[in-house]
Amino acid sequence: MDWKFIASALPKVLAAIPVTLEMALIATVIGWILGLLIALARKNRIPVVSQICAVFVSFIRGVPMVILLYVAYYAIPIALTSSFGIDTSGIPAIAYAIAALCLDQAAYSSEVLRASLDSINKGQLEAAWSVGMTTPQALRRIILPQAFAVAIPNLTGLFTGLLRGTSLAYYVGVYEITATANLLANPKLNFIEAYIITTVIYEVLSLVCNNLFGKAEKKIGKFRPRQAN
Amino acid sequence: MGELFRPELIPDYILKISKAFPKTIEILLLSLLFSLLLGGIFAAMGMSGKKALVKISSGWIAFMRGVPTLILIFLLYLGLPQVLKRIGIDLSGVSTTTFIITTLSLSASANMAEMMRSACLAIDKGQKEAALSVGMSPAVAFIRIILPQALGVAIPTLGNNFIMLFKETSLAFTIGVMDLMGKARAVSAVNYGATKLEVYVATAVIFWVFCFVFEKLFKFIEKAYTVGRKA
Repeated sequence: MDWKFIASALPKVLAAIPVTLEMALIATVIGWILGLLIALARKNRIPVVSQICAVFVSFIRGVPMVILLYVAYYAIPIALTSSFGIDTSGIPAIAYAIAALCLDQAAYSSEVLRASLDSINKGQLEAAWSVGMTTPQALRRIILPQAFAVAIPNLTGLFTGLLRGTSLAYYVGVYEITATANLLANPKLNFIEAYIITTVIYEVLSLVCNNLFGKAEKKIGKFRPRQAN
Repeated sequence: MGELFRPELIPDYILKISKAFPKTIEILLLSLLFSLLLGGIFAAMGMSGKKALVKISSGWIAFMRGVPTLILIFLLYLGLPQVLKRIGIDLSGVSTTTFIITTLSLSASANMAEMMRSACLAIDKGQKEAALSVGMSPAVAFIRIILPQALGVAIPTLGNNFIMLFKETSLAFTIGVMDLMGKARAVSAVNYGATKLEVYVATAVIFWVFCFVFEKLFKFIEKAYTVGRKA
């Protein structure tokens, strides 16, 4: 063990944590909102939109993350340049990585949310209508809190998966934890030290996230629909 | 950057890249086998009721779920030989494929263990008690009564895990294995990376098609297996 290397590399790798978190958080927020929209579109069987969403979800779920990252990295600049004439040379690699992660989260979360929406009794929506709520009101006040409470354990799994997935952004040139560790390890071949550092960081991050989601689960748990008998 | 997208190249690339499919399947099936074996051991430890064993099992699962597969690959492929060299074990003769299979088996074993444990827990306790009451030994009761039922419960999850493992094989290229993704990068390098997008779209299509096939296959297996079994 090269302790000197660990001492000098650790602060630099720790400094890359915000990059990892930035990717994960933006992808989660945008991805899960998109996922909710996809879930609602598919649940209500909106013609055309629902079929397009089904193909999109199947594609994203069938393609490995690393290929998705590469496709986003090469496709988005070509699409932007050829259709809008935008100069893409100023766009940082992290933007493409976030775009790919967003699409990934949208597809997976839509499946989770669709299942949880299905688990909410139809009578809930009808009851909300009967007291004069509009459909958006009923969704926001009655259906979504319950659906979210059902979905949160699976969403926790999605988020920790995403956290691990960000390590692949290394391959499109984003300097997050993995890439930084690799860069530092290369000159003197301190691989074992560098990857032990990264392993510990990822473990701690996922532990913290699991805890936070666990707390959220307890809080939102009160909305969990009780078993109707 | 800025060159045009030429979709007409994709079919040809699909054929070229598909030649690496046997390698991907080799990695997939061997990792599946070993992850099931390892998962079985950890699942058994988790259900043993012995405090220390349960702790080891849940610790292993939590650890494997927290670490990215990519890091595990690097740790094993780049780190492990350095450590073992110091105690006189030389790993330079071990192929990259072996490293990938080892890594994927380790990382997938966590999900496999969880799958087996929850499938066994899903079987009503009365089944085991009834089996014991007619004089079966615990081992016989497990093999004849619990296992066939748990298998039916586990098949959908096994399908998911199988597809996840299939997608994870795409990381083999990171240490230079010529699987689908490695082949894709080689094909792209031949024309100096000018058609990277077409190459990766072709690879994406290959993975998509096989995921679709595997999904249908597991649906079929589930149906065939659970006929007359599920209450």
